[in-house]
Amino acid sequence: VTELAIAAGTEVAVRMSEIAVSGDADDVLVSMGLGSCIALALVCRRGRACGLAHVMLPDSGGRESDRPGKYGDQAVPALIARLALLGVHPTALDAVLVGGAQMFVDTPGMEIGVRNQAAVRAALRRARVPVTAAATGGSTGRTVRVHVATGSVTVREAGAQEVCLR
Amino acid sequence: MTMARPRYTDLQLDALREVANIGSGTAGTALSSLLGRSVAISVPGAAAMELADAVDAAGAPEDVTWVIVVAVGGDLEATALLLIGKRDADAICALLGVDSDSDTGRSALEEVGNILVASYVGALGRLTGFVLTLRPPASAHDMLGAVVGSVLASRSHGRDYALMLDSELRVEHEAIALSFMLLPTPEGVDELLRRIGLGD
Repeated sequence: VTELAIAAGTEVAVRMSEIAVSGDADDVLVSMGLGSCIALALVCRRGRACGLAHVMLPDSGGRESDRPGKYGDQAVPALIARLALLGVHPTALDAVLVGGAQMFVDTPGMEIGVRNQAAVRAALRRARVPVTAAATGGSTGRTVRVHVATGSVTVREAGAQEVCLR
Repeated sequence: MTMARPRYTDLQLDALREVANIGSGTAGTALSSLLGRSVAISVPGAAAMELADAVDAAGAPEDVTWVIVVAVGGDLEATALLLIGKRDADAICALLGVDSDSDTGRSALEEVGNILVASYVGALGRLTGFVLTLRPPASAHDMLGAVVGSVLASRSHGRDYALMLDSELRVEHEAIALSFMLLPTPEGVDELLRRIGLGD
């Protein structure tokens, strides 16, 4: 009997300002090279689906944008709404945050990472979604993977091994 | 604010490419005298890109790379980035007689960035009559996407697109390559085009 290699999963890249949701167990949602950006992973505790938003800036200031993942205040409700279309109730969601680093220490105007994290956490509080794990701040780039099959979230920092956050 | 993709004509992009060519030529001459080696310059690129595409265009997002950033101000607001891979950084530091893993190595790479940006921007100023100022360089040695994405987030002023002028400098016989990127603000691009007689 020939054993076929099990597919490692289809990686779905979620780039700056993008959001993605999936209920397909083969999918792995990935944001590579997060600096000041915040990756917001929403995971359904009942295993229905997962979502990932790659947030670039904290606050839209009420401006409309056709990039629902760009601003923290818009990305949270947008991702919750997309997951609702897959039958996920907001009360079944856990949030995991990754990123929000300051890549250049002591450089004015580069503290966006801190503001991104604060904006996403505030929007999650408004939506009553708990943050159950986070790898944020510091001055290191990170890559996050959301494994739809298991709902696990893994993170890798530059030059380090991948570790499991959830 | 949703901004439509800025539309630059082929003529405008050709002119911007020529500006980048003059700037990177001057930067290449400076690098050549700094390292005592000949330097070849690639044909520069000029394109307006979605920010996520601009991050991808810089290279593989997880590659750990030296990035030296210099903010340009005055009559033209822009960000200059010099991308140096680990092996290239080691080779440059070896030519300069410093250890790339030390603070001295980091300072040396920042100084290389500073000299290249000053040369490029100086040529741009002479060409356009702009009075331009440079901030001190900042550097990071990390995932390329993390660094470039952070620069774009902080310097794109909420816009969805960036104009990227990029060129590659190759040090002959040393297998050293550096990428140079100039990211003017949208207002900066308009001002630059007006100054070279191709504005709206």
